[in-house]
Formats: sequence, structure tokens, C-alpha cells
Amino acid sequence: MLDCLVVSYEILDHTADIRIRAFGGDMAGLLRSAVLAMAALMADTGGVRSDVTVTVEASGETPEELLVHLLSEVLYVHHTRRMVFQGAEVEIPDESALRAVYTLSGEPYDAGRHEPGYDIKAVTYHDLKIERAGDRLTAEIVFDV
Amino acid sequence: MRIERIHDNLWEIPRSGKMLVPARVYASEGLLRKIQEDKSLDQLVNVAHLPGIEKYAVAMPDIHWGYGFPIGGIAAMDAGEGVISPGGVGYDINCGVRLMSTALSEADVRPSLRKLVAALFKNIPSGAGEGGKVKLSDKGYRGIFTKGAGWAVENGWGEERDIETIEDNGCFPGADAGAIGKRAFERGKDQVGTLGSGNHFLEVDVVDEIYDPAAAEAFGLRPGQVCVLIHSGSRGFGHQICTDYIDTMLGYMRKHGLELPDKQLACARIDSSEGRGYLAAFAAAVNYAWVNRQLLMHLARKSFCEALGITQRELKGKLVYDVSHNIAKFEEHNVNGESKKVCVHRKGATRAFPKGHRLVPEAYRSVGQPVFIPGDMGRGSYVLVGLPGALDETFGTCCHGAGRMLSRTKALKEGQGRDLFSELENKGIIVMAKGKKTVAEEMPDAYKDAGEVCRVVHDAGIAGMVARLRPIGVIKG
Repeated sequence: MLDCLVVSYEILDHTADIRIRAFGGDMAGLLRSAVLAMAALMADTGGVRSDVTVTVEASGETPEELLVHLLSEVLYVHHTRRMVFQGAEVEIPDESALRAVYTLSGEPYDAGRHEPGYDIKAVTYHDLKIERAGDRLTAEIVFDV
Repeated sequence: MRIERIHDNLWEIPRSGKMLVPARVYASEGLLRKIQEDKSLDQLVNVAHLPGIEKYAVAMPDIHWGYGFPIGGIAAMDAGEGVISPGGVGYDINCGVRLMSTALSEADVRPSLRKLVAALFKNIPSGAGEGGKVKLSDKGYRGIFTKGAGWAVENGWGEERDIETIEDNGCFPGADAGAIGKRAFERGKDQVGTLGSGNHFLEVDVVDEIYDPAAAEAFGLRPGQVCVLIHSGSRGFGHQICTDYIDTMLGYMRKHGLELPDKQLACARIDSSEGRGYLAAFAAAVNYAWVNRQLLMHLARKSFCEALGITQRELKGKLVYDVSHNIAKFEEHNVNGESKKVCVHRKGATRAFPKGHRLVPEAYRSVGQPVFIPGDMGRGSYVLVGLPGALDETFGTCCHGAGRMLSRTKALKEGQGRDLFSELENKGIIVMAKGKKTVAEEMPDAYKDAGEVCRVVHDAGIAGMVARLRPIGVIKG
């Protein structure tokens, strides 16, 4: 049950692109859900092994910017290192500094084993709001595909 | 939202709140109803808030919900006081379409069609993450940025005359490598000469119907002729430049206390260091996209010769034209009775200059600029020609496609249990794609009818219908 609260997302309707809603118990949980959602959109994460780990940092002037920057970093690693991911750990060392350090686990993309998903071009700011709903944080994110 | 009818195919949303200008939509009554089903008109209203916007925010009949700007949106900004918005161009900078005609007829190709589509699929890298065959050195990169399509021709990927029929002769001025971040360089390094995925495609078409014989003749199109339609853009290079500069613009907006209804519209004054920086990087991406489409066409020419056992001379693969539909351009337009320099943002919209315009290639100047409107995989695409109404009303712009109607998730659901490859093959269309999912998402039912969209701009006097293209072979990512 706890895991469902920490890691979850849903796909919402959008005419041309992909829109999701990610949930988290706190900011780190929300960021983790968003990263895992994006990973699952880019490739079927079911058969992805965690052979390689990559540690990345992101920051922002607002929580929304931190979220977009973090996802853009993941996208950059995906495109330049041709990696698909199955796991992510996010740490926020200092909440007020709006900085996150996160570790991605995955492996190089293998056309023979991995079912490709969306070729996400970018993470947009369109209608992006991080909101608190009861005991969890939610964010709606539109990806350009 | 109040919408007033101007005429059968034009609607206006009057100014309200902080809108600086009204918004206008070209659509039939039927299309307007479909348009109102998503948030695209809200997005158009948001565009009308951008500083320096002239006359009105305009939408074409293929308008649909995007991010920031709607897809199918046009905004012209005062070149001095106005802003430039990377989101108003889009992530895929200079995404566009080119059409190549050939000397072949359907009967020449039909017996070897499967072999031809397989050769195209083998020779043209497509799909997510697929690298290209050209690895760029720093020198190569510099050549692409500054020379555009000319660089490709210099290096043997095409013919000198190809350059004559590309918007701006395939070279956008003002590119500066210093304005481009390291990440964009890295993302673009091995992607030149790749199709990509999503709605990008390469299609073998047959000219099925001619509506305007004079324009068709000028464009070198005849009934039954085989053509190739290519849709792609600046790949990861452009995507990263847009990503980087949206952040730069957000910084600018904070610094200057500029507030907009959607952050994705982030912008800066054209004449600011942020605006100039974006334009210098953007120019490089525009040139990158032209090189990309030039390489794709070269690979298509090669595949035709390989599959059909003919020479380039027999193929006569001639570039009819290459249009950009995600772009910002400095142009002179009539604003309230005076000629004025404006920066026209075309986000999913195509330049459509009429006959006599000095920027229309000489060969077409007596008829007007060719415009290509890709439809869906089943119902075909259209060739149009720019008309005077475009200059009078829409900053020389018309639509760019059929426009999506179903979301990707809905299309996937509709496609479940259907063999779309066989359905299309039964219609005489051979499709090869890297992902089965892509074909479901891009199935004909997911789009509006391109014919209906074209009919609106035709009736409104913006761009005239010249010919219809029927697909017979499609490759997708």
C-alpha cells in the first residue's frame, strides 16, 4: 500500500502528446514517480536489467522547474547513452535549496529484448503545477512526443 | 468562450482580459465543433497575450491541443518591440515536409513495391534512438550550422539544383555555435539522416487527382506519377536547443517581471541577449533539419535505384519543394495598412506565399509557392499553392496537416485487436514500421480528414488545392 502511494502515475488524455499525472508522498517520492513514469513511457521496463547505475543532479528555482530539469536530465541520459531504466532513487538533501540527487538504474537499449515506447522529445512546462491533495503531492506533466 | 462568426470558414474570439489582440480560427462549422473538444482554443487565447503580437493570434483548421502554442497556430511579433518564444516554434525546430517527384508511374513501381518499401526501410534509419550513418566531426557540425542543405550537397548527398527549391535555399542566416549548449551537440551528433518516430514518415505516393492543372504543371506533377513525401525535423539537436532556451527565457521573464498564462510560452524580447542567443542556436537547428531532410531524400533516391534496378538518371528524383512547419521567420507583412517587419511564429503551420512574391522560387513565381499537407496513412496527402489571401490575412501562412483528432492512447485502444498492416495492405498500401504501436497511434482514424482541412483554406482563399497524393508505401519509426 505504501509503495502505491510512493510510486504511482496515470496516463491522462491529450490530443497530440502524452500527459501524465504523477503522485508522491513527498517531493522526493513525486520526482521518483515522475522519473519511473517517463522510463515506462520510453520502453517497456518489464525486462530491463539494472546493470548500470547513473547518478545525476538537478536543481530549479521552483519545484516545477526542479521537476522539469530532473526529467530533462533523465531524457538526456536516455538519448545520449542509449539507456533504458527500470529504477530510480531520489534524494533531496536540502528541501529549501530545490536540488535533487538521483540514481538511475538500467541498461543499454537492446532492440532484441526491449520493446520501444515513445520517443519523448522533451518535457514541457505546459499547465504544470505541483499540488498537494490530501496526504500526497501530484503533478500533471505533458511530454512532447 | 465567446466565438463570433466572420464568414463560413472564419471565426473570431474577441479580446478579453489581458489579451492584446483577438484570436481567429479558420474552420468550417463541423471542424470548429471538433476543435472545441480539446483545449486548443484556450491555448490560442494564451498566445494573444504575448508582448508585441500584431493583428491577431491565428489558427488554421488543423489546430489541435499542443503545449504552450496550439499546433496549427500563427503569431506575428513586432520585430523591434516583440518577443521570440521557443515554445512558439516547438521542440522540433524546422520540422517540415519535402516532396520529391520521379519519372516513374505507378505501373513501374507496383510489381516491386514490397522490395522498394523494404529497401527504404533498410536504408533509412528510423525509430527511437536509431543513429544515423553520418558521424559528425566538429568541422562537419560547423558546416551544417552555417551552410544548411548546401553542406549536404557539397558532401555528395544531393544535387546542386535541390537547393533552389528549399525555403530560403536551405540556409538560415545567423547561426552561432557559441549559442548552442554542449547537450544539444551531443544529442545531435549521430542523428543527422534519421527519420525519427511518432508522426514522422517517408511515404511513396501516386498523384491521384489534379485540381489545378497549371500549378501542377509548374510543380512538375502529372496524374499517375510516383512521388516521395518526407516528414522529419531537427531531431534531438533541435529538441535540446528548445529545452535549454525555454529555461533561458524563464530566467528573462523573472528578471523583467513578465507574466504569461502558460510557462511554456516563455519568451524574451527579440532584441535582448536571450532573444539573440536563441535565434543564433535556432538558426543552427533550422539548418540541421534541412540537412536531415536532404540526407533522407538522398537515401530514398538510392533505395529506389537499388530496389528497381534503375539509374538516378532514369529515376529523375526532383525536389519539388521543402516547407518548414515549425519555424519563426522575419518577414515583411501588411499590418494595418503599412508594410512592417515582423517575426512570424509558425507552430504547425506552413508558409504559403502567392504568385509574384520575391521569395517564391523563380520556377514557381508565376503560380505561387507549393505547400504540402500530409494526411494520414490511408486517405492521402495534398499539394496546395499559396494564394493572395494568405498575405492579406494570415501572415502568408496556411495549415500543415490533417490535425490529430484521437489522442495516442485512444488510438491505441481503437487499434487493439485490429491488424492495421493488413487493413492498409488491402487498400494497396505497404507499411513498414519499427514499432507496431506507432502504426496504431498513427492510424487513419486518429486524424481529421486532410481533405476537409484543405477545403477550408482553399475556400478562404489562403492556399489553393493543386493535387491529391495517394499513399502506396509508408515507412515509420
